[in-house]
Amino acid sequence: MVARISIIIVLVILLASTALFRVNQWEQAIVFKFGEIQRSDYGSGLHIMIPFINTAKKFEKRLLNLERDAQRFLTKEKKDVLVDYFAKWRIADVEKFYTASSGGDINYANNLLGQRINQALRDEFGKRTVQEVVAGERDEILNIVTTTTTELTETLGIAVQDVRTKRIDLPDEVSDNVYSRMRSERVRVAKDFRARGEEAAERIRANADRERQVLLANAYREAEVIRGEGDAQATEIYAASFGKNEEFYALYRSLNAYQNSFRDTNNILLLEPDSEFFRYFNNQRGK
Amino acid sequence: MGWNEPPNNNQDKDPWGNRGNGEGPPDLDELVKKMQKGFGGIFGKKPDKITGQGSPMTWIFIVLAVLAWLAYDMTYAIDQQQRGVVLRFGKFVTTMNPGLNIRLPQPIERVMKVNVGQVRPLTHRATMLTQDENIVDIDVAVKWRINDPYAYLFNVYDPASTIRQATESAVREVIGKSKLDFVLTEGRSEIAQRQQELLQGILEDYKTGILVVNVEMQSAKPPEQVKDAFDDAIKAREDEQRLVNEAEAYRNDIIPRARGQSARLREEANGYKASVIARAEGEATRFDKQLVEYLRAPDITRQRLYLDAMEGVMSNTSKILMDADKGNSLMYLPVDQLLKRQGTAGASADFNRSNMQNQASDTARQLPDTGSNRLRGVR
Repeated sequence: MVARISIIIVLVILLASTALFRVNQWEQAIVFKFGEIQRSDYGSGLHIMIPFINTAKKFEKRLLNLERDAQRFLTKEKKDVLVDYFAKWRIADVEKFYTASSGGDINYANNLLGQRINQALRDEFGKRTVQEVVAGERDEILNIVTTTTTELTETLGIAVQDVRTKRIDLPDEVSDNVYSRMRSERVRVAKDFRARGEEAAERIRANADRERQVLLANAYREAEVIRGEGDAQATEIYAASFGKNEEFYALYRSLNAYQNSFRDTNNILLLEPDSEFFRYFNNQRGK
Repeated sequence: MGWNEPPNNNQDKDPWGNRGNGEGPPDLDELVKKMQKGFGGIFGKKPDKITGQGSPMTWIFIVLAVLAWLAYDMTYAIDQQQRGVVLRFGKFVTTMNPGLNIRLPQPIERVMKVNVGQVRPLTHRATMLTQDENIVDIDVAVKWRINDPYAYLFNVYDPASTIRQATESAVREVIGKSKLDFVLTEGRSEIAQRQQELLQGILEDYKTGILVVNVEMQSAKPPEQVKDAFDDAIKAREDEQRLVNEAEAYRNDIIPRARGQSARLREEANGYKASVIARAEGEATRFDKQLVEYLRAPDITRQRLYLDAMEGVMSNTSKILMDADKGNSLMYLPVDQLLKRQGTAGASADFNRSNMQNQASDTARQLPDTGSNRLRGVR
């Protein structure tokens, strides 16, 4: 009884291991009949095949990765740019893929795909300037490249979901030129800043100078007005006072003027002694 | 991937064990021993020893052992930050939430644990081109976590390297569409924002099941080769401010001084005005007073004033008195010589003065002798 049970168990295990195959959620499978593809539309889960006649081979259903090292591409203005990219693709038609890629070798498919993408990128880069490639038309280029790979679905059974560049850089020998250009640009900016500073400073100084000049001139004007007022008032006072007796004023003022103007000993008076002053000079009776 | 790690303390969680023998949790070692014994009964020994039905106790133990193993295998504890993706013969069935879960035993069902709570860091540092063909050093930190375990496991091969690639691509694309100055200065947060959006877009396009929590630009700086020029440009910006400040300082220096000077001019003018008026008033008053006295005795005052004044004039000046008959012999008067002396008086005033004194005294001595032609210089 036990022996029978054990034999049955062994048989079941043997049968299960040869007649059942498991397709994981992320896989797809082909079942061959003596090497010829028999069926490939298996969903995930457990499936049955005929032992020894059928063999199963499983393939990735997930998005696969192609990554390429940086390569040089020539742009429209004959500049080299270093570009690396990655592509995401999946096995769309597993039968075709198996047939066309020498037994479902992913590396083989990657190589083929890489060549195709390289070619497309080369074409597109050749039509554009560095600036367009770096900034403007990245998406456009990548869309074109992705589109050119659609025929691979027919021939290779793979579908490219996306091609994206990572680096788009200038090679080292060009980088030096870029650096010197950046440097000169900074120098330009720096000079601009400094000159603007000078400009503003000069404006402020000139403005200050003007302000000072205006201040002083205004002050001078006011001062002159004040002086004039003083003079006017003084004149008025003099006139009021001196006008009382013009005769006496003339005498008074003249005598003052004589005294003031001949105050210096260096003045020489050449006199004839017949003036009023010398009335008694020669004659004690006074003529 | 550890999708069938046994949970600890399975005895405690073992409903069948408890129910089965009703004598507390079964001892594992004992169970194993019994299992071996039971299986030994099947495979190890010849069936002649336990012929027929075997002892019923053996079968009970076997059944208990199998139940215990099943209980151990079928229960599954999921941590709070994890989700368990259940595969039945490789086909997705359901997703386990945190807590105690039950699945069908191996090899029917398997569980893949995915950590959805953990926020994972990713940094990317590179030198890249900007839109205006400048080169810039960028350091970006991305934080991401798994959003959808199903998508994460089943849609993309190697999602971790995919997010790295996508990050690199997104960062470079956004920088490539920005100008250098923008990247270095005010654009930082906006660029990080755009990078995050683009990155999330790419990852959603691939259905990776990854959520980008945050993208941060750690640093964006010009490359080492041009750093000094950039620093100088920054310094220049400071210099601009400095020059302006210096000019302001100049202004602040001279304007108050000018105001002070203006004030001085005004004050001086006021002083002049006051003094002129005061003098005028003084002189006028003096005149007025004298006038009063003059009017009392005009003739004698007139005479006195005249003589006083002339005395003042005469006593202060050099004089030459000529008392010659008119039309008489020509007289030589060296006025020019005298004037010349006066002209150099500033330099040798004392000499001139003494000289003249001598001359004057000479003439004075001669005066009494020569009566007719008198030339008199008195000092």
